Amino acid sequence: MSAMSEIPLPHPAKRVVPWWLLRHETMLAVILLIALVVLGGLNSRFLTLDNLLNQGRLTTEVGLIALPMTFIIITGGIDLSVGSIVGFCAILLGYSWKVFGFPLPLAICFTLLAGAAAGFLNGIVITRVKVPPLIMTIATLALYRGLAEGISQARSVRGYPEWFYFIGQENLFGVPAQLWLLLIAIVVAAIVLDRTTFGRSLYAIGNNETAARFSGLPVDRVKLIIYTLSGFMAGLSACVLVSRVTTTRSDMGMGYELDVIAAVVLGGTSIFGGVGTIWGTVVGLAMIQLLKNGLALTGVKGDATIVVIGTVLILSTLVASSLQRRREGV
Amino acid sequence: MTTDPHSETPAAPVLLVRAIEKSFPGVRALSGVSFDAARGEVHALLGENGAGKSTLIKIVSGVFPPDRGEVLVDGRQVDLARPDDARRAGIATIYQELLLFPELTVAENIFMGHVPRAALGRIDWRAMHEKTNALLASLEIHDLRADRVVGSLSVGNRQRVEILRALSQDARILIMDEPTAALTEYDVTRLFDIVRKLKARGVAVIYISHRLDEIFEIADRVTVLRDGAHVATKRVADTDAADLVQLMVGRRIESLFPKITVPIGQPVLEVKDLERRPLTKNVSLTVCAGEIVGLSGLVGSGRSELAQTIFGVTPADNGEIRIAGQKVDIRSPAQARSLGVAYVPEDRGTQGLVRPMTVRENFSLAALGKVAFGGFIDRGAERKLAGDGVKRFAVKTSSLEQIAGKLSGGNQQKIVLGKWLANGPKLLILDEPTRGIDVGAKAEIHRLMGELAAQGLAILMISSELPEVLGMSDRVLVMREGRIVAEFSREEVTQESIGAAMMGSRENAEKAA
Ligand SMILES: Nc1ncnc2c1ncn2[C@@H]1O[C@H](COP(=O)(O)OP(=O)(O)OP(=O)(O)O)[C@@H](O)[C@H]1O
Ligand SMILES: [Mg+2]
Repeated sequence: MSAMSEIPLPHPAKRVVPWWLLRHETMLAVILLIALVVLGGLNSRFLTLDNLLNQGRLTTEVGLIALPMTFIIITGGIDLSVGSIVGFCAILLGYSWKVFGFPLPLAICFTLLAGAAAGFLNGIVITRVKVPPLIMTIATLALYRGLAEGISQARSVRGYPEWFYFIGQENLFGVPAQLWLLLIAIVVAAIVLDRTTFGRSLYAIGNNETAARFSGLPVDRVKLIIYTLSGFMAGLSACVLVSRVTTTRSDMGMGYELDVIAAVVLGGTSIFGGVGTIWGTVVGLAMIQLLKNGLALTGVKGDATIVVIGTVLILSTLVASSLQRRREGV
Repeated sequence: MTTDPHSETPAAPVLLVRAIEKSFPGVRALSGVSFDAARGEVHALLGENGAGKSTLIKIVSGVFPPDRGEVLVDGRQVDLARPDDARRAGIATIYQELLLFPELTVAENIFMGHVPRAALGRIDWRAMHEKTNALLASLEIHDLRADRVVGSLSVGNRQRVEILRALSQDARILIMDEPTAALTEYDVTRLFDIVRKLKARGVAVIYISHRLDEIFEIADRVTVLRDGAHVATKRVADTDAADLVQLMVGRRIESLFPKITVPIGQPVLEVKDLERRPLTKNVSLTVCAGEIVGLSGLVGSGRSELAQTIFGVTPADNGEIRIAGQKVDIRSPAQARSLGVAYVPEDRGTQGLVRPMTVRENFSLAALGKVAFGGFIDRGAERKLAGDGVKRFAVKTSSLEQIAGKLSGGNQQKIVLGKWLANGPKLLILDEPTRGIDVGAKAEIHRLMGELAAQGLAILMISSELPEVLGMSDRVLVMREGRIVAEFSREEVTQESIGAAMMGSRENAEKAA
């Protein structure tokens, strides 16, 4: 018998533990469930439908940005400017409505476009000038925040028309309106990542950019698209945020990048690229939001909450790397 | 069929490996393999792709532990839990993929991990350079400087650095996994000089190669593995190529280079005065449908660079490219692919394969358009595409979902080849297509190339292996310093004429001086 004459039948490799149980997302979901039960036991207000839905409302702004961030981190990139784009877009929304006198729907479109343009600028410099994403987006983190402050001159905008608050404050079929937006975005992002050639390209780029290029994948175009998308979603997030808090200030979205990246990485997406899922990010988001809320309800102070979240992040990284070693069978 | 390896041992073995077993999920890589090596002996390890050669030497060098079996050095059992243990036992290994640090100098690479120290733990740079020079002198290497950055060296020179690194650790057992796969004939000669010197010093060399002629030139004994089992250990003097192939493959292989003559069609690729500084200068060439054009030259003569310019990786500055008569301006591999050009790159690790992805995903990567509808991947179609590729190239893998980087070197190469054919190209540019591929699979790939040419594909084949160039090509072009300096038809080409054209400038320069 030789390898030449023998046709290997494709059959899945034998494993003792089913593969999905070893997945990072599954482990995380289990930890999440345990945390829910413990926190629920400590506080009776925690595990109520109302509270949970309200937490969904609060996590939407970060969640919308975490989806394209998952794409970006899968390619081995990063976008630190998202928080600043949120601030920049929030200011543009208020400014174009109040000062330019745009009708609000037009101002919203303008805001989304501006967000996309901000992301596009990141993408074009990263792909054309080959500036590392970390450096480029640190620069624009400062730049976009600076623009927001410059335009707003420390004045806030209030008094939006009543209908605009629907998205941020009302319910649709008993579920917070913006949560529908997030749910749709999650499903679309998951399908794109899992089922399309675009999603496949993201993984290929993250695992071996040179080989992806040599295989004829449009690497630069893909990167340009995801950074633009990231800016666009930050713009959308800004609109939702303004609608929820009814006012526009230049420090909006400050520090969002950390929450977003923490959720994505907690969800098992490798910061080195090539690995990650939308489901992981969703669990990561839920984890962070519910931990924050559960701890707050149990009377833990803000600083301590951050310590707990940091600890969870470290633990999950440890679990992830030990899983990785197991998969590699070394 | 199995001979007792110990009865033929010329001297007391420094290395003795007994009844090693090793399984990976879904594959039994080694089943009860025994092996030994004596002082001053070159012992070759032979076998098809995936036979378990690399696995065996990885166990000996402490990369992973065996499931069962033992390793003895100088008659004493050693526990090789980590690579460091193997190093201390005097075992040094040069892996299939070279593992140097390209940004560091020759001396730094050699002493990485065991730098000479001065007082207070400072690095003793003087001692390091002196020791490096002493090592270089001991092997009579005069054209390599200790302070050169390794990234700027040719593959042959990098390999010499790896050998020096092994010697700097006083290795008594040196293992080389396919050291010549990426070398030109000239570099191979120089490598063999070094191996003979080591042998004379009493080093035991374990040598893996798919090139049989090398084994007859350099080895004293040869051990053949097949499907993870020990088949035979023989003295090289007592065997011949046909015998070894029979042992490896289990059957005879008729002819290695069966290029059949087929009618040559219209030009598919026409290149005129192509320029891309610094390595492609004024290149003109034509490849027609049904034709295999061999591109020969020394490493560094600009062959891969030319191919990558045609393929759009490094778009041309000047000149003209026509595909099937149409003038085109190729700016990216994506565009080249849509024009029906395929390029199988020389460096499978970085350019050809996405190693952490599965066999299925690698097979479809260059042909995603074929298995996707409206941007959505049809999983069934994709599995079929990959399954067909696995069958066509007899890729030895436990499943389509196996991580490609875990396959044996030769099987990875088959995937790189296969993924481009999945796309049905008009022009196929092959860069060292059979590097690291075993004799049987090589014959298979050559047969396939002949078949593809007969179906009207135009093939441009870069190869450093002269017999392959001579056997497969309808025409042979020779490159030197970025230019095409000679062209031979199938009838007139000889090994000597190619060799002379490749070296040309050096000889001329010598004559002129
Ligand atoms: N880390 C790993 N995980 C899973 N399977 C592996 C791993 N390493 C090797 N294998 C499998 O073990 C078998 C033997 O592989 P090995 O690399 O030893 O072959 P080889 O004789 O060196 O082949 P080649 O000539 O192609 O280099 C192959 O089927 C390979 O797919
Ligand atoms: Mg090998």
